[in-house]
Amino acid sequence: MTWTRLPRIFRPTARAEVADELRFHVEERARELVESGMDPERAREQAERRFGPVRPIEDELVDSTRRRREREDRAERLMNLRMDLRYTLRSLRKNPGFAAAAVGTLALGVGAALAVFTVVNGVLLRPLPYKDPERITMIWTWMPEGYALPLSSGSFNLLSEAQTRFDAVAAFRAWRYGFSPPGSAESERVNGARVTPALFDVLGVRPIAGRTFTRDEAVPGGPNVVVISHDLWQRRFGGDRSAIGRQIELSGQSFTITGVMPPGFTFPRGAELPAPLQFAPRTDLWTPLVFDSDAVGDFGTDNLSAVGRLKESDPRPAQAEASAIMRRFLDANAPSLKTDFKLVSLADQAGKDIKGGLLILLGAVVIVLLIASANVASLLVARVSQRQRELAVRAAMGAGWGRIARQLVTENLVLSTLGCALAALIAFWMTKGMLALVPGVLPRADDIGVDWRVMAVAALVAIAAGVAFGLIVAGSVRWSHLAQALHAGDTRSAGSVRQRYGRRVLVAAEVALSLVLLIGAALLTRSFLELQRVRAGFNPSDVLTADVGMPIAGRFDPSLGPMWTQRFNDVSARLNAEPGVVAAGAISSLPLTGGVEYGGVHVVGDPMPQPGEMRTAQYNVVTGRYFDAMRITVLRGRAFDSRDDAPGVRTIVVNRAFARQRFTSEDAAVGREVRATFEFTPNPAPRMIVGVVDDVKQSALGDEPTPQVYVPQSQHSYPRLAFVVRTDGARLTPLGAVTVVRRAVRDADRGALINDIRTMDDVVSQSLAKQRFSMTLIGTFALIAVILTIVGLYGVLSLAVRQREREIGVRLALGAQPGNVVAMVVADGARVTAVGILVGIGGAIAATRVLTSLLYGVSTTDAMTFVGAAAVVAAVALTATYVPARRAAGIDPREALTAD
Amino acid sequence: MGLMARPSNLDLLQGTLDLLVLKTLTWGPAHGYTVASWIQRLTDDVLQVGEGSLYPALHRLEERGLVESEWRRSENNRKAKFYQLTAAGRAQLRAESQTWTRFASAIGKVLQATEQPA
Repeated sequence: MTWTRLPRIFRPTARAEVADELRFHVEERARELVESGMDPERAREQAERRFGPVRPIEDELVDSTRRRREREDRAERLMNLRMDLRYTLRSLRKNPGFAAAAVGTLALGVGAALAVFTVVNGVLLRPLPYKDPERITMIWTWMPEGYALPLSSGSFNLLSEAQTRFDAVAAFRAWRYGFSPPGSAESERVNGARVTPALFDVLGVRPIAGRTFTRDEAVPGGPNVVVISHDLWQRRFGGDRSAIGRQIELSGQSFTITGVMPPGFTFPRGAELPAPLQFAPRTDLWTPLVFDSDAVGDFGTDNLSAVGRLKESDPRPAQAEASAIMRRFLDANAPSLKTDFKLVSLADQAGKDIKGGLLILLGAVVIVLLIASANVASLLVARVSQRQRELAVRAAMGAGWGRIARQLVTENLVLSTLGCALAALIAFWMTKGMLALVPGVLPRADDIGVDWRVMAVAALVAIAAGVAFGLIVAGSVRWSHLAQALHAGDTRSAGSVRQRYGRRVLVAAEVALSLVLLIGAALLTRSFLELQRVRAGFNPSDVLTADVGMPIAGRFDPSLGPMWTQRFNDVSARLNAEPGVVAAGAISSLPLTGGVEYGGVHVVGDPMPQPGEMRTAQYNVVTGRYFDAMRITVLRGRAFDSRDDAPGVRTIVVNRAFARQRFTSEDAAVGREVRATFEFTPNPAPRMIVGVVDDVKQSALGDEPTPQVYVPQSQHSYPRLAFVVRTDGARLTPLGAVTVVRRAVRDADRGALINDIRTMDDVVSQSLAKQRFSMTLIGTFALIAVILTIVGLYGVLSLAVRQREREIGVRLALGAQPGNVVAMVVADGARVTAVGILVGIGGAIAATRVLTSLLYGVSTTDAMTFVGAAAVVAAVALTATYVPARRAAGIDPREALTAD
Repeated sequence: MGLMARPSNLDLLQGTLDLLVLKTLTWGPAHGYTVASWIQRLTDDVLQVGEGSLYPALHRLEERGLVESEWRRSENNRKAKFYQLTAAGRAQLRAESQTWTRFASAIGKVLQATEQPA
């Protein structure tokens, strides 16, 4: 069926069309009557009479005509789309290299962007899974020196009783339990928290079965009750409702299960709270936190985290009130202290440490996306300039501008849809890879994944990119030249000056952007290498560590101290006697695991400091041959030995930084006496410094040396220590020592809990997880950027060579040497690259400043890194010019001049 | 005068007219005037189609997909709207004409009956 239709703008209105149809009828009838001899006047009259009244029929038909037109238009659009699609697929099949390059580039750029977006959304943007999370705020003690500490029992009770601006405030602390399921002798370590009953109200989360515990249960002498997580319920009780009311054994005591929390509720979660508080990645059970009369008056032990639900969304009145409460208290008790309460919204708390890094990552991935887009745009424009003749033919056959533009948009929609579908796959895998790089470091990471929101973004990007690219391409078609293109048969014209210039600007921009990324990646890598060269103060190789805890339930009871000391000494002795063990010992806070404790240390003989101005040091409790096992150098004096276990002996070992800070030299320190205020006794007797050891990086490899002191465990008991076992690496390897450690601990105390068994090398490597995360990702993005840039540069140059084939042919025919031609093409590429590199160095100087907080031991404008990265970019760019240059030199003048 | 003046016959005509239009179009594409003339001639002017009422019928058939339309040059080189049968229209015509024939013969039998049935 030939469906010749008028261009839409010339189409009569529906009413006019109907009127035409009916008028034709009447006129036809009149004409017939005239032919049979009737007078024209009368014929017309009769024809109209026979037809009847026109107006009502006309009205009736206008609607059906409109409906018909809509139907036809729809059918036409559908047909066009089908034709466009068929045409697109044909032309893509004809040119698979182009299709693969465009789809692949788009997939890489969009996929990387989606993956980063997924993580940023999961960590920073997604609302926390609690009721009205914007009203939930953490409460810390704020020190005048500018850092936050947990609350003491005293300060928590002070605040919770006096405050009026919160619906509820709750305190909690991490507590590890040995959990023995009913009928099982084997005990499992379970991460629990001791919490005040208000915690569940503050977070606004209700149990899905049973109940949480009440205020009446959280009192001294109250019943042992426990609320368990959905995960634990499923894992250990098979999701059986009869678990409610059951008795379970936790660290040797019997507890009654009162409720099960909903799936996903695992507050508090380690990655969302400051590392020194030692919260596990997720919490699986909750027991009541009980304050007895002593605890209420204890302002010295800062061991509680606190969280509150604000009555209004503005936190400022609550902050002001909390500060006023603290001020009133201090004025009455210690007027010179400047301690304060500090409110930090839970969302900020969770995202605080990682936010900067993630935003930098987002910036990096945007650069990759820009490069990918520039590449695809330049690829498409290049291709359409090769298709001038084909488009000219279509135009000659009657396709209008709109029709051809629509065809181009359809083509690009197909490309971008394929690209984005692939991108979604890439994003899926990349998100998994990213999260696997940082186990336990990224807050809220355990439930991040590519979800429908990300897929929706991918779909939107596909449509937007398809339309945008299509319009760019349509805009680049030289419509006025289409007719000439057909006549001249000139598909190899050099393209308009504007177009050639535009593509070069795009590629120069790509070079600049990828240089910025490459410099960023190089800086992070150098910083990472610097960190690994850092003197940690100990030697991690051939060392196994394991966390060993003596069973304690309920209240921490220091009177058990002698028992713990005896058990730990026993474990140490057993380990040191093992064949293949070089030395073994233990420490309260293993370096680089996040644990760190500060306490005031006062040198006897120095003037007494004002309250609150006592100088502090990191302190650790050690046992066995800890310094030997870690190969921490003893600089002066001696390490601890059996002499320190004698009753009444009070000794201490300090580090180099402490000695230099307090005594100007290591020599001067040995034999002096200090008082440590971190001991449980209110007015401790002095300790004698018996040795000075090397500085150890406690929190992070990038730390400055900090004053540190060590106290023997026999003089200061601890219920939980991290053992370190140095093996000879031959008879016994660190991994082989696992069974040795398990046996030694079990032989010393059957109820002891062993956790976190790993090599010290792993500990060091794990402590660099964040740095490795940024380095690996930005490095990957830089690599993608460089590859895309090479592809872009290669594309532009080879197109330029193809378009100038005839000109080059003429040059060769006139006697130009192939070498000149190569030089010409290489120079073309070199100019673009040089401009890109100059701009890129400028951009990098401005952009790398954001990396400051992530870098260690390397300046953000490190000259060597800049020069090196620029050289790499220049080298790969010139490599990209090689193939097109060779091609140009190989052009046969005769063929080039006679072609077409 | 057409049927417009005799509305009592309109109900009968509604379905019948559709059938007649479909039938006339089996001879090839035609514009409304031709269709009207053919019907009048074939029925010896007994069934005088109100010429105006033909057009709603044509549009109705088109909406049901039984005919389709197109503007073309007429025999004397004027622009006219031509209608032609679609495949669906042909099928519809076959079905309807069978029904119609059975119906007509049934009526005929009754009307020509000479004695009262037992």
